[in-house]
Amino acid sequence: METFVIGLSIASILFMVALGLAIIYGTMNVINLAHGEMVMIGAYTTVLATKHLGLNIYLCLPLAFLVTATFGLIIERTVVRRLYGRLLDTLLATWGIALILQQLIRIHFGLGLFGIEIDGLGSDLQNVPVPAELQQAIQLFGANIPVYRAFVFVTALALGAITWLVMYKTRFGSQLRAVSVARNTAAACGINDKRVNMLAFAYGSGLAGIAGVLVSGFKTVSPDMGTPYVVDAFLVVVAGGVGHLLGTFASAGILGEVQSFVATWANDVYGRTVLFAVVIFILLFKPQGLFVTKSR
Amino acid sequence: MTYRTASIIAYIVFFAVVLALPLVLNSFWTNRVAIYLVYSICAIGISMSWGYAGILSLGQGLFFGMGAYMLAMSLTLAVPENNPVPQLMLLNMEPNAVRDLCCVTTGSFLWIPFRSIAVGMIAGIVVPCVLAAGIGYVMFKRRTTGVYVSIITLAFALIGQLLIINNQPLTGGFNGLADLALLEIGGFEFDPYGPSAYYAVALTLIAVILLARYMLTGRIGQVLKAIREDEARARYLGYDVENYKLFIFCVSAGVAGLAGMLFTLTSEFATPSLMATSLSISMVIWAATGGRASLLGACIGALIVNFVGSLASESATFQPVWPIILGLLFVVVVLFMPNGIAGIFKAFIDRPGKAERLGGAKLAGKTERSDKAELLVKSELSAREA
Amino acid sequence: MKNHDRRTFLKASGLTAIGLAAPSILRLGDKAWAADEIPVGIMYSLTGTTAIVEKSMNQCAQMAIDEINAKGGVLGRKLRAIVEDPASEPRIYSEKARKLTIEDQVPVIFGCYTTASRKAVLPVVERRKGLLVWPTWYEGEECSKNVLYAGSAVPNQQLENSLPWLQKSLGKNKVFIVGSDYAFPRGMAKTSKTICEKIGMQVVGDEYLPLGHTEWASMVSKIGSSGADVIFSNVVGDSIVAFYRELRNQGYDFDKLPLCASTTTEVEIKAMGPEYALGSYVSLPYFQTVDTPQNKVFVEAFKAYAGADAVTHAAMEAVYIGVNMWAMAAEKAGDLAPDAIVANAGGLSFDAPQGKVTIDPDNLHSYLTPRIGKTRADGLLDIVDQYAEPLVPLPYSSVGETADKRVCTTSGATL
Repeated sequence: METFVIGLSIASILFMVALGLAIIYGTMNVINLAHGEMVMIGAYTTVLATKHLGLNIYLCLPLAFLVTATFGLIIERTVVRRLYGRLLDTLLATWGIALILQQLIRIHFGLGLFGIEIDGLGSDLQNVPVPAELQQAIQLFGANIPVYRAFVFVTALALGAITWLVMYKTRFGSQLRAVSVARNTAAACGINDKRVNMLAFAYGSGLAGIAGVLVSGFKTVSPDMGTPYVVDAFLVVVAGGVGHLLGTFASAGILGEVQSFVATWANDVYGRTVLFAVVIFILLFKPQGLFVTKSR
Repeated sequence: MTYRTASIIAYIVFFAVVLALPLVLNSFWTNRVAIYLVYSICAIGISMSWGYAGILSLGQGLFFGMGAYMLAMSLTLAVPENNPVPQLMLLNMEPNAVRDLCCVTTGSFLWIPFRSIAVGMIAGIVVPCVLAAGIGYVMFKRRTTGVYVSIITLAFALIGQLLIINNQPLTGGFNGLADLALLEIGGFEFDPYGPSAYYAVALTLIAVILLARYMLTGRIGQVLKAIREDEARARYLGYDVENYKLFIFCVSAGVAGLAGMLFTLTSEFATPSLMATSLSISMVIWAATGGRASLLGACIGALIVNFVGSLASESATFQPVWPIILGLLFVVVVLFMPNGIAGIFKAFIDRPGKAERLGGAKLAGKTERSDKAELLVKSELSAREA
Repeated sequence: MKNHDRRTFLKASGLTAIGLAAPSILRLGDKAWAADEIPVGIMYSLTGTTAIVEKSMNQCAQMAIDEINAKGGVLGRKLRAIVEDPASEPRIYSEKARKLTIEDQVPVIFGCYTTASRKAVLPVVERRKGLLVWPTWYEGEECSKNVLYAGSAVPNQQLENSLPWLQKSLGKNKVFIVGSDYAFPRGMAKTSKTICEKIGMQVVGDEYLPLGHTEWASMVSKIGSSGADVIFSNVVGDSIVAFYRELRNQGYDFDKLPLCASTTTEVEIKAMGPEYALGSYVSLPYFQTVDTPQNKVFVEAFKAYAGADAVTHAAMEAVYIGVNMWAMAAEKAGDLAPDAIVANAGGLSFDAPQGKVTIDPDNLHSYLTPRIGKTRADGLLDIVDQYAEPLVPLPYSSVGETADKRVCTTSGATL
């Protein structure tokens, strides 16, 4: 039971990071390796906001969304926009962006060069205070359930639901789906596909920012904290089926549980090895992912 | 001057410079440039599979690392204190284990063949090749393409790194293999800081370039380019697309393995961080900077990126910002120089004015597209010949 | 036109690069240093994963050098630091060590933090007759004659005091050993098992997670169900933060399930937020709270150097010891050559912030004072136990080395 709960909590983080990536990759066919850095920026937003503005972690959620969405917007306008249709090139360019963002944090956005340092930035490890009510565990069905993990899980579900609503119940969502299925046809029908791209990229980045806030509660905040996430999240996206919300949800769940069960049964190294192996198998035998949109 | 003549001249100049360098360099720079040339060989491997066949492997570090480990295992056993059993195993064995390579730690028998340097050297190429053949066979038979290949290779590299780190009694774990003898062949010792190791690397590099060029300008290269441009069409024309891809993927892995061995030779250690994602992606960047579809370009790209990187990190002014410089370089290369340095070189040789004079259709800005058209025609022609 | 601009730019930047590099690339014979200066290498990562700790070590080394220069330098010559950034990558450690040893011809490198980085530097200093002064506590199992292990603790110096103490003072008998997956935690676990067997403690678990791994949920629940009544942690780096926070989030309390760590320093405690480490123990020879006159001066000097909220920690103090003891050895030898330094370092003593530190002539490691600290609310540690005398370093204690039966001697290691 505990193993299952741990799996769910691994899955919810994976899901939140992967959700944004799924939208960006699914709609725009852009592999955003700087996505992990969006998680990192979300976490730093939390550090700065709790330190300097006295905000608590709940208020940081929307704030981090806005901040990272802005970063996403800037990246889309300056670099990614020029690379549509060049899938593998986006991978390289965004890796470069990731390096730049990490170093910008380390040198206090360049101010460090002039001797100005902002408390909360730089290459030191940072931490985020977690409200006392989240720092405990409750007993449920005989299992020890950390409240913070439950909070992460609930937030992930809520974000999934919101994203589903955005995708399927709003005008922007239908435009987004139209663009992802047939860009040129959609554009011919009068959809401003450039604007859709821009907003989708910003929204996807914003989701990663929220994941960053939640991650900052139980992990170290440091400039290179984001890198491990992007690989895992990308595995989730491709395993789940590109551009398929439910697929991302399910594959995050499956991969989270796989890792948790193998980790308990053997150790985390084998947990990760099996995780990679599962993804490789999915890609080999169901290259379109577990859940395929048939209409294509 | 045509592009062909120009590029032949460029190759000759490059070879001449590479061969002449040790005459003017001190021993530190001889060693450093030798290591950069090793990276060049990696970039050539990438260029072969990515530039020519469109297979972007993000797990090239796995093959590079395997090559490095194979030679490092042999060189570990060549140290007198590591006989009959390497110290790393003595430190990790169970208290009552037999002090013999057969069974001192679990799996230690795998080291037995590496008592011979020759086995280590052959394994440095063969093992990555065989591994690539296995991975490639499954991938390409399942018709996995594009970004999925990148992800699968990346995942394999991550697995490889995890397993090496986790099996410390067998592999030295996170610390890698550092207590190595110098490579000695027939009484001749390769000093990493002297011209001997440098020329071992430089001559290998030249040989790899020449062989790769011979192979890729020929029929195989044309077919691979056709596959890169349109896999389905190549298949309809009757080519065995899977086997061609498998072939170039293995060759590229073998080249990476070879580079890995030379890394051990010049850097005197092997570490699991050679299999890290960041190094694999760096290799791709080197090739992209130089020009992914140009062997010489990729090679020069690796040299330039590493050279600029170390200069920037060693100057007090640039030290805090050098990762930014590196990051900007990636972005600028991808945005503005998709064909890298080689592309600029080509555009310079095929200046618009000249192209018009020759009545050619190759406008500088459109080389890629016209290449594509040209290729399709060529591939169809050669198909008919066949 | 556009192409032309680019070309000119490339050409110009290429020329600049060559211009910058040319003087040092070419065979100009020996590097011409000012005769009254001694170049020394400082090589701690300023970027990458281990930069967090290594940045402060870099500052500390520069501070120590400044102090020595203020007192007139070494052999009447001022030290001049050449700082390199190896970016937390063994590959680049090796490259920078080559640059320092061969190109800059420094007589000594103060550097490295992880064993992986030391192993990458080892071939360079051993084959090119350089000298590395290594600061960090580590797993031992090394006996190089080109490394001065000044201030670096080895497993027996962190375990011989702490495990018996956990048993006697806290009454704990079932220990779960957890660590990051590499040589140090594994070496520590081996020595721990030998000691536990001797004193009758039971090792109920011995598990590892990859370095940098931050998903600790499975491990923590494994510890919980193992029946352990005390945890010994050899977890390293940013994993530490995730580990402690996970323990708290799953509802564990250090009063009921005490934890003693070998690598959690003031830096990591500050980084995770002291409330998460409150009440946990650490076994190291140095804490910021050590009560010696030398330490008061040291802490004040470092705060003046690096900022008022800077903390001092064991790895940093070891850097300080290293720089000072190297200078002492050089003065004694009257020579900067690595073999002269090594030959003269044995037996030297230095009044370090932690107390008297002496270099063992056999294995070039240091006699250090084992201490146990208990984390308090401000992130510093109260010292709850300390040895009266420095303890002998036994780098091969994991394979049964004792003070009478040495594995590592002046002639090398015999396993």
